Amino acid sequence: MARSWATMEDFEAFLDGGGLVEADDAMPDAYRQAVFAFIEMHANSELMGALTERDWIPKTPGLRHKMAVLAKTQDEIGHGHLLYMVAADLGVKTRTQMLEDLFAGRSRFHNVFHYRAVTWGDQVAIAFLVDAAALISQQAVFKNCSYGPYKRILRRIIAEEGFHMRLGEDRMMRIAEGTARQRQMFQESLDRWFWPALQLFGPDSKPDDMLLRWHIKSERNEALRDRWVQRFVPMLQGYGFTVPAPGLRWDDEARRWDVGPIDWAPLRRTLAQGGPDSARRIGEAADNWRRTAWVRTALSDGNGS
Amino acid sequence: MSEQGAIREFLLAFADDEHLMGQQHTEWIGVAPFLEEDLAFSSIGQDELGHAAMLYELVLELDGIEPTDTAVDLLAFGRPSHAYRCCHLVEYVTEDWAEALVRHWIYDAFEEKRWHLVAGSSVPKLAAIAGKALQEEAFHRRHADALLDKLLEAPQARKRILDALEAVAPMVPGLCEAAAGEARAVAEGATAGATADLLEPLVRAIDERFGRSTAAGLTADDPADGQARRTRRSGSFEPLMARMREVLDFDPEAVW
Repeated sequence: MARSWATMEDFEAFLDGGGLVEADDAMPDAYRQAVFAFIEMHANSELMGALTERDWIPKTPGLRHKMAVLAKTQDEIGHGHLLYMVAADLGVKTRTQMLEDLFAGRSRFHNVFHYRAVTWGDQVAIAFLVDAAALISQQAVFKNCSYGPYKRILRRIIAEEGFHMRLGEDRMMRIAEGTARQRQMFQESLDRWFWPALQLFGPDSKPDDMLLRWHIKSERNEALRDRWVQRFVPMLQGYGFTVPAPGLRWDDEARRWDVGPIDWAPLRRTLAQGGPDSARRIGEAADNWRRTAWVRTALSDGNGS
Repeated sequence: MSEQGAIREFLLAFADDEHLMGQQHTEWIGVAPFLEEDLAFSSIGQDELGHAAMLYELVLELDGIEPTDTAVDLLAFGRPSHAYRCCHLVEYVTEDWAEALVRHWIYDAFEEKRWHLVAGSSVPKLAAIAGKALQEEAFHRRHADALLDKLLEAPQARKRILDALEAVAPMVPGLCEAAAGEARAVAEGATAGATADLLEPLVRAIDERFGRSTAAGLTADDPADGQARRTRRSGSFEPLMARMREVLDFDPEAVW
């Protein structure tokens, strides 16, 4: 049965007590908008991530390898599908509106998918570094997420993302143990993808971050970013690769890696759809959407145009 | 041709068809008309790639080679063009979803008949693969039919579908063309009948499905090719295979 709260204080007390909000609850509009925007961006990112990977699927080196890579990208589209449904249930936009906003450049998706995968090494780096960053973020959201429908599908998404990351790690290990050309290819991919993957976590959270206050996120951006750095810097070095951070240093006292100053300008450019591959990525997705409009029209009203 | 050589040629044509058809379907991930179709097309493509892998393994076993992933990949990607045996329908590269859908329907209508022919094969592993494949084909066919049921009723969409049929139909006879050695494979019980005998029922099924006669369009495909359509590659093949081999060619010594 739908619930309602007399005041924002009552609602926040409900959230602080570990309450789960459901789609038919009369939630405060500001919360509805915030949780919608968060899920919409997640959905968009799954779809745009799939498009980034798509470029390299036909070139996957191996038949069964291709099936595994394809399954991963299908998972991403499947996540997008689920997320768009959960977002649409919030009543802010329909799935079609969300897709049309995405293809018109009116809505956001994660910074990493504003870059182009230019080699097979990039495909592996995405599966390894980017999927791990996404997984760390999603695990933190899942832990204490106040929006019930999102929390429930995150359980499935996280399980699948774990497989993706392991696939990426396995492929990275083969490259690490491979030929000089393979290793050079992957080092160049690291040089391209290390910083965008790190920037995926965003700048330090602001003290008044409503996403934290409303338990949509459960941990601060800097804590998640640091978790990724402490895990991946030693791992990449262990496989003999160079972490492309000139300011990288080991803080012996704090027993942790410090990557040095982070330039947030590239992230800001992607947020304004001005990333290195934003225009092509959005433009091609919009073209595909237009080219297949006749199918959607015919299926929706039996009067194809 | 020896019995083993005949069965090998027959299986290779089958595997190459599945491989390239799977490849073509997977190209639609992310760019199909809606998300459910992204998933459906690529998951059907994944099934076909799986069939291809199993059929290549059988070919390797006949060759006395251990069917490791590396050996499968060498067979799937490493032959010179003239050694492939696929039909031109699966080599055909299209960015038109109507053509992709029509090809999907025709290919799976054919596939169902082809898998039935080998369901009782004297090659036990082939019969086992057929059992699995026939279950999947039933889903593939339902998928294509459900879409066509609706699209053929909408006038504008119907026109696009029929235009697509016109583009694809000339490649149908090649799909039903026998691989070299097939007669021997039939005699040995590897398959229950000639692939060429599937053409007539397939054309009848196409006519029934699309509500028009396709017979006139079937002869347009380079008749000079005669019986050699499975041994001669179409113009689409080289660029497609070069794309599929790009990473493999980047470093032939590499294991990925």
